[in-house]
Amino acid sequence: MPAFEYRQAEEIRSVLQRHGVRYLFIGKSGAILLGFPDTTQDADLFVDRSPGNGRALVGALRELGFDLTEQQAREIESDKDFVQLKNGPFDLDLVFAPDGIERFEDAWQRHVNVAGFPVCHIDDIIASKQAAGRERDRESLPRLRAFRDYWLQQRKDPES
Amino acid sequence: MSEKKNNIPREWLDEFDAAARRPLEQRLRYAFIKTYKPVLDDARFRAFDTMEDYRRWCEENLPRWLGYARV
Repeated sequence: MPAFEYRQAEEIRSVLQRHGVRYLFIGKSGAILLGFPDTTQDADLFVDRSPGNGRALVGALRELGFDLTEQQAREIESDKDFVQLKNGPFDLDLVFAPDGIERFEDAWQRHVNVAGFPVCHIDDIIASKQAAGRERDRESLPRLRAFRDYWLQQRKDPES
Repeated sequence: MSEKKNNIPREWLDEFDAAARRPLEQRLRYAFIKTYKPVLDDARFRAFDTMEDYRRWCEENLPRWLGYARV
């Protein structure tokens, strides 16, 4: 499968918006949208867990071209914490309960809009990576924390 | 330059500045790469009841060098 493209990010944005899905970009893909220069393989979405949102998400995923069986659709709509999709036009991770973030609503209150893309605040992205505690996160966290300082400063004073 | 920025290694600061100058579309084009990850990429769909289940599955099934194991 080819790498995720900007055009596909735009499709996620427009299709999920049309279906009324509440979600946020999270993980490294979220950080990259905020301006963090790094590489990643797939997009990670933090999705608000509610029956209505789950149904809307399944409809949106099918419109995007994900080949979901009825069983898989039910799993996405149900109480799963994490779903990994590689049955569509690009790889997508759906996170319903990211480590380090208590509630979707809290993250939503803090979220940042980047050209129409809803993105977790950098502090939430760092909190989730820190709480996950994986080797790969431990390696990337110092640079991500440095980017946080840079990003906050840029927001405060864009000319700096 | 602010004190916060002074604490950032010069090399990283240059990278952040360069990224900030690029349009979003270009940033994403540079950022997303695709390389095969053994085991992880071998199923079209996986769902886990809890994040703990997912983390444990990664530790028990993925090669250690992929970096998904917890420290």
